[in-house]
Parts: sequence; C-alpha cells; structure tokens
Amino acid sequence: MLGKLQKCVELGEKLGAGFVEARFDDLTLRTLYRVNGTWKDIILRSRAGVGVVCYYGGASGYSFTSSDDHEELEQTVNKAFKMAKASARAVSLKLDFDRKPSVKSQRADTFQVKIHPQAENLGYKTELVNRTVEKAQESGKNITNIMGLYGELHGRKLFTNSEGSVVDWNFEIVDLQCRVTSKTASGDLVNGAGRAGGTVGLEHFNTEGSTPEDIGNEAGAHAKEQLKARPCPAGVFRALIENRLAGVLAHESFGHLSEGDFVVVGGSPLAGKIGARLGTEHATIIDYGTPNISELGGLWLPYDDQGVKANETTILDAGILKHYLHSRGTAHHLHQEPTGNCRAVHFGFVPIPRMTNTYFAPGDLTKEEALELLNTGVYAIQTLGGQVEGDGSFLFKAIRGYWVQNGKIKEPLREVSLSGNILDLLSKVEGATRDLSIHAGYFGGCGKSGQAPLPCGLGGPELVIGEVRFGGKAS
Amino acid sequence: MEYENLKNALLSNVDMGLKYASTVDRNAEFELYLFYQQRTLVNITQGVVDAADGIVEGNAVRVAKQNRLSFTSSSGISIERIKRSVNEAVASLRSVSIKDTRFKRFCEPKKPGKEGAFTDKILNLGKEELIEIANGMVKEAQDFDKRIHTVGSECAAEWGGFAVGNTLGLQQASRSAINRCEVYCIAVAGEERRTAWEADVTRERLIKTSGVGVEAARKAVNLLGAQKLNKTTVLPTIWSPVAAAAYVVAGLGQAASGEHVVEGRSPIADKLGKEVGNPKLTITDNGQSPSGVNTDAIDAEGHPQQKTTLIAKGELSQFVFDTYYAHIYGSESTGNCARHSRPFGSTLPYETSPSILPKNMEVEPGRKSLDDLIASIDGQAILIVDTPIGIFHSNVATGEFSAVAQSVFLVEKGEKKFPLQPVSVSGNFYAGLRQLLAVGDDLEKTIFAVETPTLIFDGFSIVG
Repeated sequence: MLGKLQKCVELGEKLGAGFVEARFDDLTLRTLYRVNGTWKDIILRSRAGVGVVCYYGGASGYSFTSSDDHEELEQTVNKAFKMAKASARAVSLKLDFDRKPSVKSQRADTFQVKIHPQAENLGYKTELVNRTVEKAQESGKNITNIMGLYGELHGRKLFTNSEGSVVDWNFEIVDLQCRVTSKTASGDLVNGAGRAGGTVGLEHFNTEGSTPEDIGNEAGAHAKEQLKARPCPAGVFRALIENRLAGVLAHESFGHLSEGDFVVVGGSPLAGKIGARLGTEHATIIDYGTPNISELGGLWLPYDDQGVKANETTILDAGILKHYLHSRGTAHHLHQEPTGNCRAVHFGFVPIPRMTNTYFAPGDLTKEEALELLNTGVYAIQTLGGQVEGDGSFLFKAIRGYWVQNGKIKEPLREVSLSGNILDLLSKVEGATRDLSIHAGYFGGCGKSGQAPLPCGLGGPELVIGEVRFGGKAS
Repeated sequence: MEYENLKNALLSNVDMGLKYASTVDRNAEFELYLFYQQRTLVNITQGVVDAADGIVEGNAVRVAKQNRLSFTSSSGISIERIKRSVNEAVASLRSVSIKDTRFKRFCEPKKPGKEGAFTDKILNLGKEELIEIANGMVKEAQDFDKRIHTVGSECAAEWGGFAVGNTLGLQQASRSAINRCEVYCIAVAGEERRTAWEADVTRERLIKTSGVGVEAARKAVNLLGAQKLNKTTVLPTIWSPVAAAAYVVAGLGQAASGEHVVEGRSPIADKLGKEVGNPKLTITDNGQSPSGVNTDAIDAEGHPQQKTTLIAKGELSQFVFDTYYAHIYGSESTGNCARHSRPFGSTLPYETSPSILPKNMEVEPGRKSLDDLIASIDGQAILIVDTPIGIFHSNVATGEFSAVAQSVFLVEKGEKKFPLQPVSVSGNFYAGLRQLLAVGDDLEKTIFAVETPTLIFDGFSIVG
C-alpha cells in the first residue's frame, strides 16, 4: 500500500501541488451491545480508505476514496488538486509551512499490549459483557434497564508525504461499559454508569477496579444510590470536580479554544494571549499523545495524521497561557512548533487540529484536604459530556454528585450540570489533588467541524473551584 | 455513477450480493444495505479555505439464523466488498451462540413511499460555485457592521442514495440531493464577544446566495451590550423556532422512539392515549414531507416512510418504530428505521446498525404572532433566540435537562427589553410539554429537521 500512496504523492506534485500528503487507514471496529437479557448488536466494521491532501498557493484541497484501485486513486489525487487550485483563488490567509526532514516511524511506536483484542474470539468478549450485566443485576429490584457495551477499534495507519516521510503504526483502543436505569418510588428514572478502557489489552479487564464485576457493580450501586438522591439546587456554589469531569473541563472548555485553527482566524478568546495569566497557579493543562498509559491510562497516539510525532504540550502552565495545539500550517503561522495534534476522524475527512490526551496536572491535596477546602458546595462526579462555544461559554454534565456541608459528604444529588465561562472558571481554581488519571474509550468521543466521534483521552486530578454555576431546581 | 442510474446500479449489486449470500448459507436470512454519496464541502473562515470532494460508499450486511443475529459493514459497494461482509457476518454468527429471541424477521416487501423534492441544480453545484457562495456570505457578514470580528462560512452539496434488499424478497432504493450553507459570526465590543449563526438547508432549490451572512451578523451584533440577569428564579421561557426545534428533538424525539419505549427507558412508555402535553400541542413525524431533509421513499430497512401523529391536542397518539421493535411491541413499523439522519448521524451511515429516529417532525402552529406572544407576558420572561448549548446532552430516561442559553433577551411587561448575558435554563422535557403556555404562528423549517413555531413554556429554573 505504501507504494500506492507514494504514487499519489508523485502524481499530486506532477499536477502542480507544492506539497502532498497521502494516508491509508485500515481499521476494524467491533461493537457488542446487550440490553437486559438480549443481545442488541453484534457488529463488525471494516473501515479502509485513502485520503489525499494537496497544497497549492496557500490553500489545501482534500479528497478520499474507499478504493485502492489505481484509477480511483488517480481520480482522488486529481480531485484534491483541483479543490486546492480552486480554493487558492479565494484564500487570503495562507497556512503554508516549511519543509522538514522526513519522519520514519519505528516498530516500537505501536503500543504493545499483552492480549490484543484480535487475539481473543467473540465468545471471550461477549462473556465480558455478560459478567458486567449480571453483576449490575444484583443491585436491586428497581432496575428497569441494564446496558452492557464492549467496543474495540484497531488497525493500521500508514502515512507518507512530499518529504518522503513514512509513518506506519497500529492504533488500538478497547472499552467496557455498563449503564443502569432504575425507577424511583415516585416513578422518576435515574441512572448509574461504570466504565473502563483506553489503549490497553484485554488483560486490563482482569485488574482490580476494571473487572467486569467492578464495572457492573459501580453502575448498579450508583443507580441504587440515585433512588434517594435529590435534584441539584440551582445557583452558584463552590465545587469539587472529580477526575473524569476535570478532564471534560480541560478538553471541552479549554482544549478546544487552544486549537490552532480557531486561534489563527481569531475565533478563540485565547488568540493573541500567549504569556497572559488566564488562571490560578493551580491550573496547568497538558496535551500529550503518548502519556504513561500503564500508570495513568489514556490513549496512545504516537503520530498525528500529518505524520508529526506526538508532543507533550503544556498549554496552560500554572495559569499562564504557553502554547496552542497545532497542525503544521497553524504552527507556522503562529511561529510555534507543530504539536502532533492534526487528526481526522476517518479517511473521509481532512485532518484538523484536535486534542490527544488533555488533562489538568495534579496538585498536592489529599482527597480529605480537598473536601475540607471545598467546605460547602457540590461534589460533581463522572461525565455525560459537554459543549463549549467560541466565546468560552461552556456546559458540562456530571452523571451524579453529592452535597457537601462543612467538608463532609451529606447526600447524593441527581444529574448535575455546570456552566459558565472557562476564563472565569480557571481564575477560581483553588487547588488540585495528587491523583492524576486519564480516561479514554471506544464509545463517545470528540466532535468538531462535523468530524465525530474522534477518540480522545481526558483526565486530571480532582479540582476545587471557588464558584461554579449549577443548573438545577430553583427554589 | 450518475444520479439517474444510481438506484439501478445499487439494486443490481444488492441482487448479486443476496444471491451470493444464499450460496454461503441457504438457511439463513440476509439483509443487505448499500450507501453511496458524493460530497463537496467548502469552508472559509477569515480567509482560510478548506475544501473537500469525495465519495462515501459502503455496504452493511445483517444475517439472522435461528434467532441469532450479526451485523457487518465495510467500505465500498463492489461485489467483492459485499462478499467480504457476507462472509464475515456469517463467520461471526457461527462463532458465538447468542440468541435474540425477540427477533422475528427482517422487513417484508411493501410498496415504497415517495422520494422527496429534487432539483438537478444541486447535482451541478461545483466546487468553484460553492467557493464563490461561501466567499460572498463572508463578505456580506463582514460588511454588515465593523464590530463583526470573525466570520466563518460553510457550503456543501451532496447527492446520493441507498438500496436495501433482503431474502424475504424486498429490494428497494431511494435517492436525494441536498445543499446547505451556514454562516457563523463573532461580534466583539471591548471584552464582550457574542456569537451567532444562520443557515439554509434545502433539497427543493439552491441555497440562498445572499442574506444568510447578513442575518448571522445582525443576530451577533444585536446580542452586544448584554446585561446580567443576576438572579436564580423560575420564569416563563419563549423558545424561538430554532430553539424550540432543539427542545422537541432532544425531548420527544428520543422519548417517542419505540426502542426507548420497549427497553424501559422512555418515561412516556405507559402514556399512550393519555394527556402528556397542553391541548395546544400537536406534533407529527412526517417521513413523506416533500421538502423534509430526511424524506425518502423507504427507511433504512426498506419499509415505506410515512406520516405519524405523535401527540394530538396534548394526547400521546403513537410511538415510532422499525420492524424489530414493532414486532416486540405488537405494533407495525412506522417507517422510522434509520442509519443516518440529518443533521445528526454518522458520516459513514453504512457502519451504523439500524436504529429508530424521527424523520421530519412538525409542530402544528398556533394563531398568535411572536409580537402578540411577547405582548401577552405580564411580568418577566426569557426569550431564547438560538440553540441553547448542552440541550442535546440530555438523558431520555430522566428527561431532565440543563442548558446554557447564550442568545437571550429579557422580556418584561409585554416588551422585548435588552440582551442578557448567558443564562442556564433547567427543567424536565416531559413536564415542559404540560407546562406549555402558548404556540406561535411563526412556523419555520429548522436545521434540526423540525418545522416548528415559537413555543412558550412555564416553570423552568433560570440562573443568570
């Protein structure tokens, strides 16, 4: 396949492109989905295709095909070049970049797991789901629905370009989840969830805290606890944000605003603010494609879809804005180095600046000290996702929470939503715990410019925040 | 591939694929789905141009045997790729003994419905023309007001179709061509940044080449000078058509799904024939609306698409179903099987296993204009003029939502006063239907495939 991609590059250059990138994805996706006693989905997907970017006159054109036929590939290159040429007439902000020495990947760039999902049969994986659901079933007669999900995504990613780079590695991610719905005495439905995954082998589901029984138990127990939870009060309160939710905060509210494509066009409130204080000394945010997975968890992304090696990028350093997340073009325009953040959700899309693993750096508080510092407010836990707008406004959902009074956990709260403006919020981070964890999975993912769901890792320690707006029930 | 020949070409491969499948296992039932779409997309933001042009094509195979089911998909629609999917689906079925005792059969052949409106002008919409339109939109937005700081525009044209066949003798196909544009603006005054967007999505004509940029810019500028509400309270909320559309999709759009009903996740599962909303409320799902962006002759498993009344004068009339969940519920499919639904759904629809989604929802309009509705407010209310962020991050089971309405105005004593800084709006979707105060006459097609007028709800919590 490499030869075919190299021919695409040659053809693009022959047509007149100043620079050409060609990539091939050959991915396998497996989804298993059980609802109560029924297997709803047993799905296998093969996703293979070629994408070509041609650069011409400061603009780029992209085309793609699911075929590896010679004629189809030629047509694909032709389309990409014609798009670039037509775009060049309209471009006024050019995102050129300098040529660099070629990049060659190594075999060791692929993360090695003990039990690769390909090594086990379907029965092994359905049993993981069965064990999860069966454990969750033990959590009471109020349960109306239990979902057990298993997902895996793995396969080859091959890239070459006009510099002669050859990047050839294997992507891998697995995920095991359980979601439980229970009915309260008054007829309201409440939820609980448990999950484990990331770039790990199936051996991960034998480790304490991540076994199918642990996941099922977590979902069931929390749904049971929610039966007696009250709605979160509406208003502005102090908050303790749990690790996974801190990750959503880092990703949704700040990470997106630091993406180079938003910054170069002035769409981000972070544009032109390198060196400015945007948060307290407790707020440090990092994006890193190859974190220490065995200790922290997360997603392994040694290269982006422009063939740039993963970087550990400190975006916000103790409250000071240091760096943006880049494609080669945005990095050159903003006089920074590429960060290995140019990614596409699949071969049907052009790579754009996206996050890899984005997380808050840990602090020095113990859990008890964090609760004490919180004093009275909301402890928000787990995540249902979130959203951010170009002005920094955000909304996140936590699956559940607790009301904390004088440093003591008092009572469970139902689904909690947090909103505000990220720049306000970062200026109110009062402390962080010592425990850093990064979370990633097959289900869900990041959405941007129509490209979703892109697997991303996110995480952090627990964060104490002085003031957060909670949506809920106004008294 | 030409638009004219598309259905025949897809159906021919479906036929060959099914014949091959029956040689692999003559005792199994097969369903084959092929998808083909040409997409051209141009995005211009502050002079940066991104453009893409390509073909999305793929196949999906479902196989069923003695209550065992499996699903396999792969990129491409050639007979070789289809054979690969068939082989993998059968291998998957044989490798594990898991039964779905609720499965009865795939969709039975029926006379198809009608394809939606079509203009061949969309087929001829080339990249140069899209670039010109996108550029024009940026320029008119920038020229509108010097406080417009950032403008992005995106224009796209896509045409294609899908075909479904199964071993019960069903073989049907449907085509569509859609074009769309969006303009996104940021208005800046000092430290204040306000965002707004405007869009045009249509299948029966070409997208508007002017006016969309101006409207986006006008909306953004109108939001400048926002004041803080400065309180936590309960107030009536006036949801403009685009905001109301998001409410309807995120709430009833999920709860009326036969899947959520059967699986015990829909709180209105036991409310059929009962009052679930104000008598002013009538909502239908119209899979045969000529201008609906999700209108097709058949749904994603080959059942004819149709019009289904969901709520009639406040009473819950019907849920929407595919064949699988209709069998379990003891009902008939309503032609709502989906693998792709605008504006949501996968960018590779053939990879998505069939689910249930509304097609084009329609809220029956009332008789009062927006001005009359505003004039009828005695005390204070919040006017929401754009999609609140987070509205789709809601949970069907609880119905509880909490969203941040960014584009909001204070209404006081019958008058629209001034823009507000973002407020959080929280409540329960289903309680909201009962707390509906009024329905406007300003019916509007929105990008969420919902046609709705302004809706006013009481009882939601506001934090601002």
